Amino acid sequence: MSGRPHLRACREELAFFGKIGADVTHEMRNVLSIVGENAGLLDDQLALAENGKPLDHEKLKQLSARITRQVARGTRIMERFSRFAHAADEEAASSDMTAITETVAAMAQRHVVLAGCRLEADLPDEAIHVTANPFSLQHAVFSAIELILDSLENGQVVTIKLAGRGAAAVMSVSGSVTGGGELSGRISRLSAVINELEGSVETSRENGVLSLTLTIPAG
Amino acid sequence: MAKEKVLLVDDELEFTQVLSERMKARGVDVDTAASGHEALEKVKGRSYDAIILDFSMPEMDGIETLRHLVEDNPDLQVILLTGYATLEKGIEAIKLGAMDFLEKPAEIQKLMEKIQQAKANKMLLVEQQMEEKIKGILETKSW
Repeated sequence: MSGRPHLRACREELAFFGKIGADVTHEMRNVLSIVGENAGLLDDQLALAENGKPLDHEKLKQLSARITRQVARGTRIMERFSRFAHAADEEAASSDMTAITETVAAMAQRHVVLAGCRLEADLPDEAIHVTANPFSLQHAVFSAIELILDSLENGQVVTIKLAGRGAAAVMSVSGSVTGGGELSGRISRLSAVINELEGSVETSRENGVLSLTLTIPAG
Repeated sequence: MAKEKVLLVDDELEFTQVLSERMKARGVDVDTAASGHEALEKVKGRSYDAIILDFSMPEMDGIETLRHLVEDNPDLQVILLTGYATLEKGIEAIKLGAMDFLEKPAEIQKLMEKIQQAKANKMLLVEQQMEEKIKGILETKSW
Protein backbone atom coordinates (compact mmCIF):
# COMPACT_ATOMS: atom_id res chain seq x y z
CA MET A 1 0.00 0.00 0.00
CA SER A 2 1.49 3.37 -0.94
CA GLY A 3 0.58 6.98 -1.65
CA ARG A 4 -1.81 9.39 0.05
CA PRO A 5 -4.25 6.86 1.66
CA HIS A 6 -1.31 5.12 3.34
CA LEU A 7 0.13 8.42 4.56
CA ARG A 8 -3.28 9.45 5.88
CA ALA A 9 -3.67 6.10 7.68
CA CYS A 10 -0.23 6.54 9.29
CA ARG A 11 -1.12 10.06 10.43
CA GLU A 12 -4.40 8.86 11.91
CA GLU A 13 -2.61 6.12 13.84
CA LEU A 14 -0.09 8.65 15.08
CA ALA A 15 -2.90 11.02 16.11
CA PHE A 16 -4.55 8.12 17.98
CA PHE A 17 -1.30 7.35 19.82
CA GLY A 18 -0.87 11.04 20.64
CA LYS A 19 -4.42 11.31 21.96
CA ILE A 20 -3.98 8.34 24.29
CA GLY A 21 -0.55 9.63 25.35
CA ALA A 22 -2.05 13.02 26.23
CA ASP A 23 -4.84 11.32 28.20
CA VAL A 24 -2.31 9.30 30.19
CA THR A 25 -0.20 12.37 31.01
CA HIS A 26 -3.32 14.17 32.17
CA GLU A 27 -4.32 11.30 34.44
CA MET A 28 -0.80 10.94 35.82
CA ARG A 29 -0.65 14.67 36.56
CA ASN A 30 -3.77 14.25 38.68
CA VAL A 31 -2.19 11.30 40.50
CA LEU A 32 1.05 13.24 41.09
CA SER A 33 -0.84 16.35 42.20
CA ILE A 34 -2.69 14.35 44.85
CA VAL A 35 0.50 12.59 45.98
CA GLY A 36 2.28 15.96 46.09
CA GLU A 37 -0.43 17.62 48.15
CA ASN A 38 -0.54 14.70 50.60
CA ALA A 39 3.26 14.84 50.92
CA GLY A 40 2.90 18.58 51.55
CA LEU A 41 0.32 17.88 54.24
CA LEU A 42 2.80 15.44 55.80
CA ASP A 43 5.39 18.24 55.80
CA ASP A 44 2.85 20.53 57.46
CA GLN A 45 2.24 17.91 60.20
CA LEU A 46 5.98 17.50 60.77
CA ALA A 47 6.47 21.26 60.97
CA LEU A 48 3.75 21.43 63.63
CA ALA A 49 5.44 18.57 65.53
CA GLU A 50 8.75 20.45 65.45
CA ASN A 51 6.92 23.38 67.04
CA GLY A 52 5.73 21.21 69.90
CA LYS A 53 2.38 19.89 68.68
CA PRO A 54 2.15 16.08 69.23
CA LEU A 55 2.08 14.00 66.06
CA ASP A 56 -1.43 12.94 65.05
CA HIS A 57 -0.92 9.24 64.29
CA GLU A 58 -4.39 8.79 62.82
CA LYS A 59 -3.73 11.67 60.46
CA LEU A 60 -0.40 10.16 59.41
CA LYS A 61 -2.08 6.80 58.74
CA GLN A 62 -4.70 8.58 56.65
CA LEU A 63 -2.03 10.39 54.61
CA SER A 64 -0.08 7.18 54.11
CA ALA A 65 -3.22 5.36 52.92
CA ARG A 66 -4.04 8.17 50.47
CA ILE A 67 -0.55 8.12 49.00
CA THR A 68 -0.62 4.31 48.71
CA ARG A 69 -3.97 4.48 46.95
CA GLN A 70 -2.74 7.01 44.41
CA VAL A 71 0.46 5.04 43.76
CA ALA A 72 -1.71 1.98 43.04
CA ARG A 73 -3.86 4.09 40.70
CA GLY A 74 -0.78 5.44 38.91
CA THR A 75 0.64 1.93 38.57
CA ARG A 76 -2.61 0.71 36.94
CA ILE A 77 -2.57 3.64 34.52
CA MET A 78 1.04 3.00 33.50
CA GLU A 79 0.56 -0.78 33.18
CA ARG A 80 -2.38 -0.17 30.87
CA PHE A 81 -0.43 2.37 28.82
CA SER A 82 2.50 -0.03 28.60
CA ARG A 83 0.19 -2.77 27.18
CA PHE A 84 -1.21 -0.22 24.76
CA ALA A 85 2.21 1.02 23.62
CA HIS A 86 3.72 -2.45 23.25
CA ALA A 87 0.92 -3.41 20.87
CA ALA A 88 2.97 -1.52 18.28
CA ASP A 89 5.89 -3.95 18.69
CA GLU A 90 4.66 -6.48 16.16
CA GLU A 91 3.09 -6.27 12.72
CA ALA A 92 0.92 -9.32 13.34
CA ALA A 93 0.37 -11.35 16.48
CA SER A 94 -2.21 -13.54 18.13
CA SER A 95 -4.20 -11.07 20.21
CA ASP A 96 -6.96 -11.51 22.76
CA MET A 97 -9.85 -9.26 21.65
CA THR A 98 -11.39 -9.45 25.13
CA ALA A 99 -8.22 -8.05 26.71
CA ILE A 100 -7.80 -5.47 23.95
CA THR A 101 -11.39 -4.27 24.34
CA GLU A 102 -10.96 -4.03 28.13
CA THR A 103 -7.78 -1.97 27.74
CA VAL A 104 -9.21 0.35 25.09
CA ALA A 105 -12.51 0.80 26.96
CA ALA A 106 -10.53 1.79 30.07
CA MET A 107 -8.48 4.26 28.01
CA ALA A 108 -11.59 5.72 26.41
CA GLN A 109 -13.16 6.24 29.84
CA ARG A 110 -11.79 9.77 30.28
CA HIS A 111 -13.36 10.91 26.98
CA VAL A 112 -16.64 9.27 27.94
CA VAL A 113 -16.69 10.99 31.34
CA LEU A 114 -15.73 14.38 29.87
CA ALA A 115 -18.64 14.05 27.45
CA GLY A 116 -20.94 13.50 30.42
CA CYS A 117 -21.73 9.95 29.29
CA ARG A 118 -21.24 6.38 30.58
CA LEU A 119 -19.64 3.34 29.05
CA GLU A 120 -21.03 -0.16 29.58
CA ALA A 121 -19.10 -3.17 28.31
CA ASP A 122 -20.55 -6.66 28.00
CA LEU A 123 -17.44 -8.79 27.52
CA PRO A 124 -17.02 -12.57 27.61
CA ASP A 125 -15.09 -14.25 30.42
CA GLU A 126 -12.93 -16.13 27.94
CA ALA A 127 -10.31 -14.88 25.50
CA ILE A 128 -11.23 -14.46 21.82
CA HIS A 129 -8.09 -14.81 19.74
CA VAL A 130 -7.50 -13.10 16.43
CA THR A 131 -4.24 -12.89 14.47
CA ALA A 132 -3.87 -9.31 13.30
CA ASN A 133 -1.92 -6.09 13.87
CA PRO A 134 -2.51 -5.49 17.60
CA PHE A 135 -2.14 -1.70 17.36
CA SER A 136 -4.63 -1.50 14.50
CA LEU A 137 -7.08 -3.58 16.56
CA GLN A 138 -6.83 -1.01 19.37
CA HIS A 139 -7.24 1.81 16.88
CA ALA A 140 -10.36 0.20 15.41
CA VAL A 141 -12.01 -0.35 18.80
CA PHE A 142 -11.22 3.18 19.99
CA SER A 143 -12.40 4.76 16.72
CA ALA A 144 -15.74 2.93 16.98
CA ILE A 145 -16.22 4.06 20.60
CA GLU A 146 -15.29 7.64 19.71
CA LEU A 147 -17.62 7.73 16.71
CA ILE A 148 -20.63 6.65 18.80
CA LEU A 149 -19.62 8.91 21.71
CA ASP A 150 -19.42 11.98 19.48
CA SER A 151 -23.00 11.30 18.33
CA LEU A 152 -24.42 11.18 21.85
CA GLU A 153 -25.77 13.89 24.11
CA ASN A 154 -24.97 14.33 27.81
CA GLY A 155 -26.16 11.52 30.04
CA GLN A 156 -26.25 8.85 27.32
CA VAL A 157 -24.57 5.43 27.36
CA VAL A 158 -22.04 3.87 24.98
CA THR A 159 -22.64 0.11 24.97
CA ILE A 160 -19.98 -2.37 23.86
CA LYS A 161 -20.72 -6.05 23.27
CA LEU A 162 -18.12 -8.59 22.23
CA ALA A 163 -18.59 -12.21 21.27
CA GLY A 164 -16.82 -14.93 19.31
CA ARG A 165 -18.86 -16.13 16.30
CA GLY A 166 -17.36 -19.02 14.43
CA ALA A 167 -13.90 -18.00 13.29
CA ALA A 168 -14.35 -14.30 14.05
CA ALA A 169 -14.61 -11.75 16.83
CA VAL A 170 -17.77 -9.65 16.55
CA MET A 171 -18.04 -6.40 18.43
CA SER A 172 -20.94 -3.99 18.48
CA VAL A 173 -20.66 -0.43 19.76
CA SER A 174 -23.96 1.43 20.09
CA GLY A 175 -25.72 4.38 21.62
CA SER A 176 -29.00 6.34 21.46
CA VAL A 177 -28.63 9.30 19.15
CA THR A 178 -31.17 12.06 18.71
CA GLY A 179 -29.82 14.02 15.76
CA GLY A 180 -28.65 13.09 12.31
CA GLY A 181 -25.10 14.32 11.92
CA GLU A 182 -22.71 13.58 9.11
CA LEU A 183 -20.97 10.34 9.94
CA SER A 184 -20.24 8.84 6.51
CA GLY A 185 -16.72 10.31 6.36
CA ARG A 186 -15.81 8.93 9.76
CA ILE A 187 -17.41 5.56 9.05
CA SER A 188 -15.41 5.25 5.82
CA ARG A 189 -12.21 6.00 7.78
CA LEU A 190 -13.16 3.35 10.35
CA SER A 191 -13.86 0.96 7.46
CA ALA A 192 -10.38 1.61 6.10
CA VAL A 193 -8.88 0.59 9.47
CA ILE A 194 -11.06 -2.53 9.62
CA ASN A 195 -10.24 -3.44 6.01
CA GLU A 196 -6.53 -3.43 6.93
CA LEU A 197 -7.50 -6.11 9.47
CA GLU A 198 -9.37 -8.00 6.70
CA GLY A 199 -12.56 -7.39 8.65
CA SER A 200 -15.80 -5.50 8.03
CA VAL A 201 -17.97 -2.85 9.67
CA GLU A 202 -21.73 -2.52 9.38
CA THR A 203 -23.81 0.42 10.47
CA SER A 204 -27.42 0.34 11.55
CA ARG A 205 -29.81 2.91 12.98
CA GLU A 206 -33.00 1.55 14.53
CA ASN A 207 -35.38 3.16 17.02
CA GLY A 208 -32.89 5.95 17.60
CA VAL A 209 -30.01 3.56 18.36
CA LEU A 210 -26.91 3.84 16.21
CA SER A 211 -24.85 0.65 16.09
CA LEU A 212 -21.51 -0.20 14.59
CA THR A 213 -20.77 -3.91 14.20
CA LEU A 214 -17.12 -4.78 13.68
CA THR A 215 -16.25 -8.27 12.49
CA ILE A 216 -12.60 -9.30 12.75
CA PRO A 217 -11.68 -12.74 11.34
CA ALA A 218 -9.55 -14.99 13.50
CA GLY A 219 -6.83 -14.88 10.83
CA MET B 1 -7.20 40.64 58.75
CA ALA B 2 -10.21 38.69 57.47
CA LYS B 3 -9.53 35.23 56.06
CA GLU B 4 -9.40 34.86 52.30
CA LYS B 5 -12.53 33.13 50.99
CA VAL B 6 -11.79 30.65 48.23
CA LEU B 7 -13.86 28.29 46.11
CA LEU B 8 -11.89 25.29 44.83
CA VAL B 9 -13.44 23.67 41.74
CA ASP B 10 -12.18 20.28 40.51
CA ASP B 11 -13.84 16.93 39.73
CA GLU B 12 -10.93 15.06 41.39
CA LEU B 13 -12.39 14.81 44.89
CA GLU B 14 -9.21 13.56 46.54
CA PHE B 15 -7.36 16.55 45.12
CA THR B 16 -9.87 19.13 46.38
CA GLN B 17 -10.01 17.39 49.76
CA VAL B 18 -6.26 17.48 50.40
CA LEU B 19 -5.65 20.92 48.87
CA SER B 20 -8.49 22.44 50.89
CA GLU B 21 -6.97 20.92 54.06
CA ARG B 22 -3.63 22.57 53.30
CA MET B 23 -5.24 25.90 52.52
CA LYS B 24 -7.36 25.79 55.71
CA ALA B 25 -4.19 25.11 57.71
CA ARG B 26 -2.88 28.40 56.23
CA GLY B 27 -5.91 30.33 57.40
CA VAL B 28 -7.98 30.27 54.19
CA ASP B 29 -11.74 29.78 54.33
CA VAL B 30 -12.30 27.12 51.63
CA ASP B 31 -15.39 25.76 49.91
CA THR B 32 -15.21 23.06 47.24
CA ALA B 33 -17.23 22.21 44.14
CA ALA B 34 -16.93 19.06 42.01
CA SER B 35 -18.26 20.57 38.79
CA GLY B 36 -18.80 23.77 36.86
CA HIS B 37 -22.56 23.60 37.60
CA GLU B 38 -21.91 23.25 41.33
CA ALA B 39 -19.48 26.19 41.20
CA LEU B 40 -22.09 28.43 39.57
CA GLU B 41 -24.57 27.55 42.32
CA LYS B 42 -22.08 28.23 45.11
CA VAL B 43 -21.10 31.60 43.68
CA LYS B 44 -24.76 32.69 43.79
CA GLY B 45 -24.84 32.10 47.53
CA ARG B 46 -21.50 33.48 48.63
CA SER B 47 -18.89 36.10 47.76
CA TYR B 48 -15.41 34.68 47.16
CA ASP B 49 -12.04 36.42 47.00
CA ALA B 50 -10.75 33.81 44.53
CA ILE B 51 -11.99 30.83 42.51
CA ILE B 52 -9.41 28.10 41.79
CA LEU B 53 -10.83 26.36 38.73
CA ASP B 54 -9.65 23.16 37.05
CA PHE B 55 -9.43 23.34 33.28
CA SER B 56 -10.57 19.83 32.45
CA MET B 57 -13.91 18.74 33.95
CA PRO B 58 -16.84 16.64 32.69
CA GLU B 59 -19.89 18.26 31.05
CA MET B 60 -18.85 21.88 31.61
CA ASP B 61 -15.09 22.41 31.34
CA GLY B 62 -13.07 25.16 33.02
CA ILE B 63 -13.28 27.59 30.11
CA GLU B 64 -17.07 27.23 29.83
CA THR B 65 -17.42 27.60 33.61
CA LEU B 66 -15.18 30.69 33.54
CA ARG B 67 -17.34 32.20 30.81
CA HIS B 68 -20.51 31.79 32.90
CA LEU B 69 -18.82 32.93 36.12
CA VAL B 70 -17.52 36.25 34.77
CA GLU B 71 -20.71 36.89 32.78
CA ASP B 72 -22.68 37.09 36.04
CA ASN B 73 -19.84 38.38 38.23
CA PRO B 74 -17.32 40.44 36.24
CA ASP B 75 -15.31 41.26 39.40
CA LEU B 76 -14.64 37.59 40.22
CA GLN B 77 -10.97 36.67 40.46
CA VAL B 78 -10.55 33.28 38.76
CA ILE B 79 -7.32 31.30 38.69
CA LEU B 80 -7.32 28.40 36.20
CA LEU B 81 -5.40 25.21 36.98
CA THR B 82 -4.34 23.26 33.92
CA GLY B 83 -2.52 19.98 33.43
CA TYR B 84 -0.96 21.26 30.23
CA ALA B 85 -0.31 24.97 30.07
CA THR B 86 0.04 26.37 26.58
CA LEU B 87 0.30 29.99 25.51
CA GLU B 88 -2.95 29.64 23.55
CA LYS B 89 -4.84 28.31 26.58
CA GLY B 90 -3.43 31.06 28.76
CA ILE B 91 -4.37 33.80 26.30
CA GLU B 92 -7.87 32.38 25.89
CA ALA B 93 -8.35 32.26 29.67
CA ILE B 94 -7.11 35.82 30.25
CA LYS B 95 -9.22 37.15 27.35
CA LEU B 96 -12.27 35.54 28.94
CA GLY B 97 -11.52 37.27 32.22
CA ALA B 98 -9.34 34.91 34.27
CA MET B 99 -6.91 36.59 36.64
CA ASP B 100 -4.17 34.03 36.01
CA PHE B 101 -3.49 30.39 35.20
CA LEU B 102 -1.16 27.84 36.80
CA GLU B 103 0.07 24.44 35.73
CA LYS B 104 -0.77 21.42 37.90
CA PRO B 105 0.74 20.42 40.25
CA ALA B 106 1.05 23.95 41.61
CA GLU B 107 3.23 24.74 44.63
CA ILE B 108 1.13 25.72 47.64
CA GLN B 109 3.24 28.85 48.21
CA LYS B 110 2.63 30.08 44.66
CA LEU B 111 -1.08 29.33 44.97
CA MET B 112 -1.27 31.26 48.25
CA GLU B 113 0.46 34.25 46.63
CA LYS B 114 -2.09 34.20 43.78
CA ILE B 115 -4.96 34.02 46.29
CA GLN B 116 -3.61 37.00 48.20
CA GLN B 117 -3.21 38.89 44.93
CA ALA B 118 -6.80 38.00 44.01
CA LYS B 119 -8.05 39.37 47.33
CA ALA B 120 -6.09 42.59 46.83
CA ASN B 121 -7.50 42.94 43.28
CA LYS B 122 -11.02 42.45 44.56
CA MET B 123 -10.59 44.99 47.36
CA LEU B 124 -9.30 47.51 44.84
CA LEU B 125 -12.31 46.91 42.59
CA VAL B 126 -14.69 47.31 45.54
CA GLU B 127 -12.96 50.59 46.51
CA GLN B 128 -13.22 51.89 42.95
CA GLN B 129 -16.91 51.00 42.82
CA MET B 130 -17.48 52.82 46.14
CA GLU B 131 -15.68 55.89 44.83
CA GLU B 132 -17.81 55.88 41.67
CA LYS B 133 -20.95 55.57 43.77
CA ILE B 134 -19.96 58.44 46.07
CA LYS B 135 -19.01 60.58 43.08
CA GLY B 136 -22.40 59.85 41.55
CA ILE B 137 -24.21 60.83 44.73
CA LEU B 138 -22.21 64.05 45.05
CA GLU B 139 -22.94 64.94 41.43
CA THR B 140 -26.70 64.40 41.82
CA LYS B 141 -26.66 66.60 44.88
CA SER B 142 -24.45 69.15 43.07
CA TRP B 143 -22.03 69.23 46.04
